[in-house]
Amino acid sequence: MSEKKTKTTGLPRRAFLKGSSYGILAGATLLSAAGAFTLKNKKPLLRPPGALKESTFLASCIKCGQCLQVCPPQVIELAGLDQGFGIGTPYITPSKGACILCSGLPCVLSCPTGALDHHISEGKEAHMGLAVISSPNTCLSIKGESDIPTRISRIENTQGHEKEIQLGYLLDSSLKKLDGQQKTLWLEKFKLSEFNKDSHLVISKTTLHQSQLWIWVKEFLLTSSLSKEACTICLSECPIKDEAPIVFKSKEASNTAAIPIIQKSCVGCGMCEMLCPTEKTSITIIPQAKWKES
Amino acid sequence: MANPGLRKVSIKENNSPYKWHIIRWSFVLLINFFFFASFYFDIQLLEGTLSGSRLFGFHLADPFAAIQTMFASKVFNTNLIIGAVTIGVFYLLFGGRSFCSWVCPFHFIAEMNDYLKKYLKNKNILQFKQHTFDRKLKYIIFFLFIALATLSGLTIFEIINPVSALSRAFVYGPGVVLIFVIGLLVFELLFSRRGWCRFFCPVGVSYILLGFISPLKIHWNNEKCSNCKDCQKVCMVPHVLTESVNKGKTTFVVSGECTRCGLCIDACDDGALKYKTKYLDKLI
Repeated sequence: MSEKKTKTTGLPRRAFLKGSSYGILAGATLLSAAGAFTLKNKKPLLRPPGALKESTFLASCIKCGQCLQVCPPQVIELAGLDQGFGIGTPYITPSKGACILCSGLPCVLSCPTGALDHHISEGKEAHMGLAVISSPNTCLSIKGESDIPTRISRIENTQGHEKEIQLGYLLDSSLKKLDGQQKTLWLEKFKLSEFNKDSHLVISKTTLHQSQLWIWVKEFLLTSSLSKEACTICLSECPIKDEAPIVFKSKEASNTAAIPIIQKSCVGCGMCEMLCPTEKTSITIIPQAKWKES
Repeated sequence: MANPGLRKVSIKENNSPYKWHIIRWSFVLLINFFFFASFYFDIQLLEGTLSGSRLFGFHLADPFAAIQTMFASKVFNTNLIIGAVTIGVFYLLFGGRSFCSWVCPFHFIAEMNDYLKKYLKNKNILQFKQHTFDRKLKYIIFFLFIALATLSGLTIFEIINPVSALSRAFVYGPGVVLIFVIGLLVFELLFSRRGWCRFFCPVGVSYILLGFISPLKIHWNNEKCSNCKDCQKVCMVPHVLTESVNKGKTTFVVSGECTRCGLCIDACDDGALKYKTKYLDKLI
């Protein structure tokens, strides 16, 4: 390895090295700039609430992931190469886990750069995207069918985290809708009083779906009044349902069927997409879309 | 002062040749563990990553990342400025580029990579090229990426930033950018000793600029020095030592490129090198 002396290139070593350094520099710059622009135009992502306009958001986000750390339902993920230019930027996949627009919006508060804008203080002020009825043919509400049987079979056919989420929402929403004798019966079975309804989720998450109790719940729900109502889960579980983001327009031919129509107040949190009971969700979120009169 | 140290006989004064190694490595691992633990165990101590975080709820931000986001978005967010200035003031007091050797996870891994390089070289398994590049390159890269961010409105360097990519990988799990990090390590192993940190890394540049004025510096005692140059053999940026040890011009290592890693202090058998605060002794 002591053959250095025999090197007889015309270019002095130092000049060569200098040349190579600047060559590398120019190459790297061109590559990264070109890479950035080819990656930029990909399918838009659903950003956490308060996100600025996408181009400003991409420029502002420092990719620290603090919004992900404070997210109570833990639905925020950091993007990889698949999601295009914004490597390390936060996004939400509503079908896997939707934003619940929790009070105080901790993700917005945690953002150090204002990429999630501090000007919004409530979920209903967000503009994440817009829900659309993507598959009217399968929508249970338009068909005038109950959601209970579909939800029960979904719970029995899925596993893990998704199963627990669906089960939790089924029990919660059922209790909310039950009244009179049926409610008393339900509370008795779960050994709950009117005042400690909170323990409901605890029971559901740990033991319910393996137990005798589950068989009882199934029977009960399938024969209760809930099974006779058409599905309205997209509205009834909406975190901002008081703002009436979905209005049901009745079809004249039948008395239960109704067409859900998305209103301007929809912020696109994705709760409806996550809970829509049909196999292929009938309602989907279009990220970053704006509402238009139609 | 004009004479470089010329003591004839070397008397071993330094009895703990791994003192600063151990302290510094423990510190790097501890800081990065805090980032990891804050999320994994949800203890809210140091939330976020090295590009942006909160220490007990107080915002901190990496200056270079903050400059890029501000220039790209043209939005000057108060929290971001507070975070970047806090970090700036901290490193202004504690040695500027001390970020690199005391906090940066890439520096730590590259240091381990360097030991691997030395081992393979000593065993004659591989002969390595030792390319050097122009040290000014990183300053050009620093301003180039700020200009690119301003023009394109995108934080282009943050896509490939190996420091934040590693930090994110520790906290949230590995991502694709780690391929680039591995590429850099291979490049350093085969072509250029510690090439990224010495010649290219623009994250370090903001800390270098602070390091020039930071009072926490390496002090050289020319009466104790036997001019053996062991310090320059271990140093990642040996040119910072030549000003004082070889030429005897200054008693402090004045360059901002010094990472205050303490390898020279550990290597010095004469006890001629020490951490000292430059203006403090004058004040007292």
